[in-house]
Amino acid sequence: MKINKMWIPVFLLPTVVLFLMIYAVPLVMVFATSLFDYRLNAKDMTFIGFGNYSRLFRDPDFFQALSNTVMWILIQCTVHVALGTVVALILYKRPKGWKFVRTAYMVPNIISNAAIAMIFLNIFNPQFGVINSVLKAARLEHLTRNWLMDSRTSFVSVTLIWVLFAGYTTTLVLAQALSIDDTIIEAAKVDGASPFQRDIFVVLPLLKKVIGTTMVMAATYMLQMFDLIYITTNGGPGKATTNLPLLLYSVYKGENNYGYANAIGVCIVVIGIGAMALINKALKVNQEEY
Amino acid sequence: MKKYTLCVLKYLLLVICVCVALFPIVWVFMSSFKTNAEILANGVSLPKSFSLKGYQDALTISPILRYFGNSVVITVCSTGFNVLFLAMAAYVFARCTFSGKNLLYFILSLSLVIPMTALLHPVYGVILKIGLYDTKAGLILVYTALNLPMSLLILRGTFLSVPKALEEAAYVDGANFVRTFFQIMLPCAKGGLTSAAVLAFLNSWNEFTFALVLTSGQKARTLPLSLSYFTAQFSFNYTALFAAVTIAVFPSIAVFAIFQEQVVSSLTTGAVKE
Repeated sequence: MKINKMWIPVFLLPTVVLFLMIYAVPLVMVFATSLFDYRLNAKDMTFIGFGNYSRLFRDPDFFQALSNTVMWILIQCTVHVALGTVVALILYKRPKGWKFVRTAYMVPNIISNAAIAMIFLNIFNPQFGVINSVLKAARLEHLTRNWLMDSRTSFVSVTLIWVLFAGYTTTLVLAQALSIDDTIIEAAKVDGASPFQRDIFVVLPLLKKVIGTTMVMAATYMLQMFDLIYITTNGGPGKATTNLPLLLYSVYKGENNYGYANAIGVCIVVIGIGAMALINKALKVNQEEY
Repeated sequence: MKKYTLCVLKYLLLVICVCVALFPIVWVFMSSFKTNAEILANGVSLPKSFSLKGYQDALTISPILRYFGNSVVITVCSTGFNVLFLAMAAYVFARCTFSGKNLLYFILSLSLVIPMTALLHPVYGVILKIGLYDTKAGLILVYTALNLPMSLLILRGTFLSVPKALEEAAYVDGANFVRTFFQIMLPCAKGGLTSAAVLAFLNSWNEFTFALVLTSGQKARTLPLSLSYFTAQFSFNYTALFAAVTIAVFPSIAVFAIFQEQVVSSLTTGAVKE
């Protein structure tokens, strides 16, 4: 087959330009500018080496944001992924209405986070929100509170906005489970394994790889989480629900301290790559697989 | 008996999941027909009468139509560009041989692991430098790029699965490279193209963070941003707010309902297989 090689660079050009402009150049810039004292104006940049990083280690807000971020990644990789997997394990036997459940469970994952945030802002609303309305109806008025802005409940309330919506995980794990060869499950049946044993010892190990993928996705999602928190609590009360992207945004927009904001950006990149490597190693998922 | 309990528990879990997933949307949709007083009196009651006043208010007190238009333009353009450009690149990676191909593919697929919110300020810097700050073109550019990794993955897989004999026949008949691509390969890859387009559409339609950072005025702001504008300015007209949320989520749900099988299969091809 003779291909005119002239066309190869032409076909690659748009993608390469997009990659350079939005990924490569910004990535280099985030590392480079994190080494400068860089506020407001690029002309006044001075090289300070790791000065921004040493400020990170003295900044209590950073540690709060870091621990919240790590906490949310852990919750999402365990509770959220486990919930999605359990639902997939129920659905793969094709019970009545399994397709409907799969579709319905995806709905919160495909609508915009801004809408989800607005909805939960109202579900948790202290005056007419669903939770307080139900509590009042049950004569438990002493339990009503401003769920998102009460420092005792804000972290849990914010977590509830995403942790239960495991539609993506269910869809991915389900697709893999449905493609398992029936003869494997039949063989286990012949060997006398109960349905529960079949799920745990036969099906689940075959899903290890896809569960690893969903964990990586969950971790990246939480590492980048911004909109849901920004709209509902904006990181408050105090810094109770701030994570690294929110801290980056507040340093960037609030303080106009771009060098420091980009040092936080470098942390996010490093944590992202680290988390991915860790999950891959823990589950021995080959990096090439997804 | 034990088996029976387990079965009940399973269905109970499924029912709870469906309720948790659908309740917020149903609640908002229902509330968008209530009056403000009804909402404040009892958040979970059914609407007493059917009224479209919320929608009227949403249209009059905020430029939501304008934001809707911006969202349509930006999403349609970025989805189109993304699928076209990435199809071209994916085709080359699937079919041609040239030196440095594997290295280039590896570098491009690194975009999958870069957390983009870390790059807020530098991306803003790039967009400002090329004069696209607060323009639709700026957001189109960024959204086209944001969907690069997923589309590359899906489309390369699609082209690899198209039989080579088809192209060879085209070349024998004297078609050139470009014509073969547009007239033979693209129609063959329709499934993958739809999948990539649906995912790109949903991502762009729902994107919030870059829209917030890269725009300042009404000229280029998108629908998700208009919602947060609602809390700040009209926090007392809840009916209008719920109507606006309904307007914002309707296109996503419609696209998902129509192309559901594609979304599911694209998630599977993109993330489970190769």
